[in-house]
Amino acid sequence: MMSSVPATDKKSKLLVYSIEECPACGQKTKRAFQVGDYITKEGAKCTKCGNPTRISLVYAEPAVKPSG
Amino acid sequence: MSIVSSMPLQLGSDVNTLLYMTSLGFFIIYGLYATRIQVYFALNDIGRGLNKLKVMKDKARKEAIEYLTNVGKTGSDPTQRVDQFLDYVTIMPVDMDPQGIVGKVDHVVTTNNDRVRAEVASLITQNNPVTVSISENLLEVATSLNQIHKVVRHYYLLGKKTNSYFTLVQLQMLMPMIIQEADALLNAVDSFKVGQPVGDGIGPVIVSRLMVGAEKRAVAKDTVMAMTEYKGRKLYVLKADGPMAYVGQPGVAIKKIIEDMGVKPTAIVMIDAALKLEGEKTGEIAEGVGAAIGGIGVEKFQIEEEATKNKIPLYAILVKQSILEAITVMRKEIAEASDKVIQVLNRVIEEKTKEGDDVLVAGIGNTLGVAQ
Repeated sequence: MMSSVPATDKKSKLLVYSIEECPACGQKTKRAFQVGDYITKEGAKCTKCGNPTRISLVYAEPAVKPSG
Repeated sequence: MSIVSSMPLQLGSDVNTLLYMTSLGFFIIYGLYATRIQVYFALNDIGRGLNKLKVMKDKARKEAIEYLTNVGKTGSDPTQRVDQFLDYVTIMPVDMDPQGIVGKVDHVVTTNNDRVRAEVASLITQNNPVTVSISENLLEVATSLNQIHKVVRHYYLLGKKTNSYFTLVQLQMLMPMIIQEADALLNAVDSFKVGQPVGDGIGPVIVSRLMVGAEKRAVAKDTVMAMTEYKGRKLYVLKADGPMAYVGQPGVAIKKIIEDMGVKPTAIVMIDAALKLEGEKTGEIAEGVGAAIGGIGVEKFQIEEEATKNKIPLYAILVKQSILEAITVMRKEIAEASDKVIQVLNRVIEEKTKEGDDVLVAGIGNTLGVAQ
């Protein structure tokens, strides 16, 4: 008889990123999430215009498998 | 000659008879013991699921204890207090006379929430509100998994004791959904521990963008609001107070804005995450009317009552996601839907209101990792 209890999913590994956005020039920088990050938290200085950036998004996406 | 030629036929006839008798016997035995055989398989199946649930609830309990000890810095070993907490029950009010039931449910739920917060605050020495709120959420996850395991175990043992085929088969059929939900809860622990925004937080993410640069103020317990403008309309935007893992009291907040502050909104727009149906894409946006809010129903009732009393239309903007995606770290598809949601919100405001109107915008959901 076939089991009705699902086997534990083989979870695809997710990588979490914080997106820092410059409110002045709109430049977006994607970096790995660090504990303590939250949306609207002040980020690093903008690499384009030097203004302070803010974290606008935190999200996860599947890790890209290395080809070959 | 005739004897020799008849031998194979006789042998064949015996084999056929034997096969016939065996299959007949099998069918008779199966007919008599079919339910017992199925009960045996169902018990095995549920037993396996129950073991999985036990592993999950033990892991959630362990994670909660570790977080309280290492991050919350409890003075002593919190294991005993946590175990007491896991068995705490909330008794819902009697509903034989439904008159005023929402107020009673609200009272019981508020008492429970206050108790959880007080319990956590007395347990940990860290009074950082983010740590306290994460501890509350971790304990709630551990409690839910403990409760799921207990209920499943109850029906498993009851079915086994009474040899009840129907109890066991019903439970067996429900097991895949129960395991899926438990798995989602367990996965939520990883996101909660490090304070990552969850899929359910998409409403607060959008509202936090509208709040940037505006003055914020507390409008209800764990709920903040700000005033902003869009194309000549005054927007009253509200969300739970982040980056704590709060959902706030949007029902109370909307009532206060309308009744205490005297605001007369032309429309209430609610932005929330919604469970997608199988086959729907994560991050899809749906528009509609009505109060877009989940939970036990108290907040929804309060919002609907206020909107009906003041004849304010309720508009909903929903971002589709699965239960797993709603309570674990926000997926890229959901986060990237925020730009589209803002476009939809702007269109709804332009279409349904005119210049000079007041509009109430509520971002509904858990605001963990989303400040304002």
